[in-house]
Amino acid sequence: MILKLQDISKSYEQIKAVEMVSLEIKEGEAMGLVGPNGSGKSTLLKIMLGIIRPSAGKVLVNGEVLSEKGWKEFKRSVGYMPERVSFYDNLTGNETLKLFARVKGGSLSNMKDVIGRLLSEDVLHRKVGGYSKGMRQRLNLAQALVNEPRFLVLDEPTSGLDPVGTREFYDILDEVRERKKLTVVLSSHILAEIEEKIDRVAVMKNGSLKAVGRLEELCEGMNIPLRIYLTIHGKDELLEGLLMREGAVDIGYKNGYLLASIPRGNKLELISAIMEEKDRFSDLSIREPSLEEVFFGLH
Amino acid sequence: MVFTDAMRAIAHKELSDKLKSRWVIVIGSGFALFTLVISYFGGAPAGVTGFMSLDATIASLTSLVTYFIPILALTLGGGIIADEQEKGTLGIYLASPISVGEFIIGKFTGLVIALVLSIVAGLGVAGIMLFFRTGTEAVGTFLVFIINSVLLGVTFLSVSFLISIIFYERTKVIALTICIWLLFTILYDLGLIGLLIVTKGSIGTEAFSMLLLLNPVDIYRILNFISIGEFQVLIGLASVEFPAYIRTSMLWGISMIWIIAPLGISYYYFKKRYLE
Repeated sequence: MILKLQDISKSYEQIKAVEMVSLEIKEGEAMGLVGPNGSGKSTLLKIMLGIIRPSAGKVLVNGEVLSEKGWKEFKRSVGYMPERVSFYDNLTGNETLKLFARVKGGSLSNMKDVIGRLLSEDVLHRKVGGYSKGMRQRLNLAQALVNEPRFLVLDEPTSGLDPVGTREFYDILDEVRERKKLTVVLSSHILAEIEEKIDRVAVMKNGSLKAVGRLEELCEGMNIPLRIYLTIHGKDELLEGLLMREGAVDIGYKNGYLLASIPRGNKLELISAIMEEKDRFSDLSIREPSLEEVFFGLH
Repeated sequence: MVFTDAMRAIAHKELSDKLKSRWVIVIGSGFALFTLVISYFGGAPAGVTGFMSLDATIASLTSLVTYFIPILALTLGGGIIADEQEKGTLGIYLASPISVGEFIIGKFTGLVIALVLSIVAGLGVAGIMLFFRTGTEAVGTFLVFIINSVLLGVTFLSVSFLISIIFYERTKVIALTICIWLLFTILYDLGLIGLLIVTKGSIGTEAFSMLLLLNPVDIYRILNFISIGEFQVLIGLASVEFPAYIRTSMLWGISMIWIIAPLGISYYYFKKRYLE
């Protein structure tokens, strides 16, 4: 299933939430949607899901504009995990999943293994009112999966979770994605968190799409410098001069490292020049820019 | 429209919420208690106590139901959207393969059943008392009274859906709910009385009757007026002579319009807000 957004705009009275966004999500890929709060991510996700209609532009599934009936059919294969869902305190986890399975035309028995991985039997039979934030997020993911979706949309899925909870959540998501061969769209403003979970990234700001592509492509296209780390004792003016001659900038010292930003094109020349002075440092590492750096590079 | 499994699931959830929270039991018991007290002491102003005749009981209960059921129904449906919005579950429903109609009808059905259970339980107590005093003769008339009361309740439930869907925010919904209740139960009739005074009664029975038919509470009063005959004075409609074409079936028809129209507008607004 290929989902294509074509020149999508959405306005609420005078406010433009999304402006002329075009984006294609390919079958089986994991697409990250990143941007600061209020950048239009959630609105774009809701348009993808048919929750709201765009003011202009088209949503195409497998090349076709969906009719009312078409949307209903498309939604059968969609799982949606909205941001911050508290669910119904008076229902158990199991009752909640049964409710949404019936609403979506799914069946709990088909997803028993996945649900079991997310929530234990004991937790499932407890009232949601007594759930922790992490349990509610797992229940939220479970409800998104009860209809065995092929297309999974997650809006800020780890918002409010601690680092351990966040890691557990992504481990489970990886496992489910692998087993069910899902197409995933994942929005987040915590960029570093989803960096390793996605195949491509779409960066949004003020309702517009600023860039789309594989992280490496974006980095190369923007010629973002690499960061070099040399482990040394004290200061070394000779190494500093060498780095400068090879075009390095932002040279400085931190926590026993001599740091510098180097142009991508000079990488090999710089390494060979530095290796001639290998007795002056005990270790060397070169780091690719993080998604965060790409993202802020675009802003 | 076919009542789909998704609609049944939504209706079941709404009903079980009201059953689990004991809403139905509390409201039904409270209603039953009031009903018994009014049935017993309803004739006190005339110096009589004890369970009265059927007509007198219905006349007394009409006054109770007129104020009690609308506010009950309005509060019951007032939070349907705000609650889902606050819990974050509205997006899940909207991303599901169900139509706006299925969502609204599912919720409405669940709440109608909860409301009907409460009304039947509450008024049923008085009905059983009447059965023991007057035998089967009273059962039919009292059943019609219960149907009228259910129609009044469902009408205001439908209005509450409309308020909830148009205004969303809980505080706005609560404020408007109270205003709507005041308008239909008190202010509208005061306005009509004012109109009679200003026009010195020249407005005419026909026009006055028509104005009464615009208010579901007055429709309820007229329905009970028709069924109990001589005790109209207790309902406050003694001086009105209704045109012959105003019959029970016609009034039930208007009540149905009062139920369907707000639901239809709710559907339109909900769809417009999200899907257009």
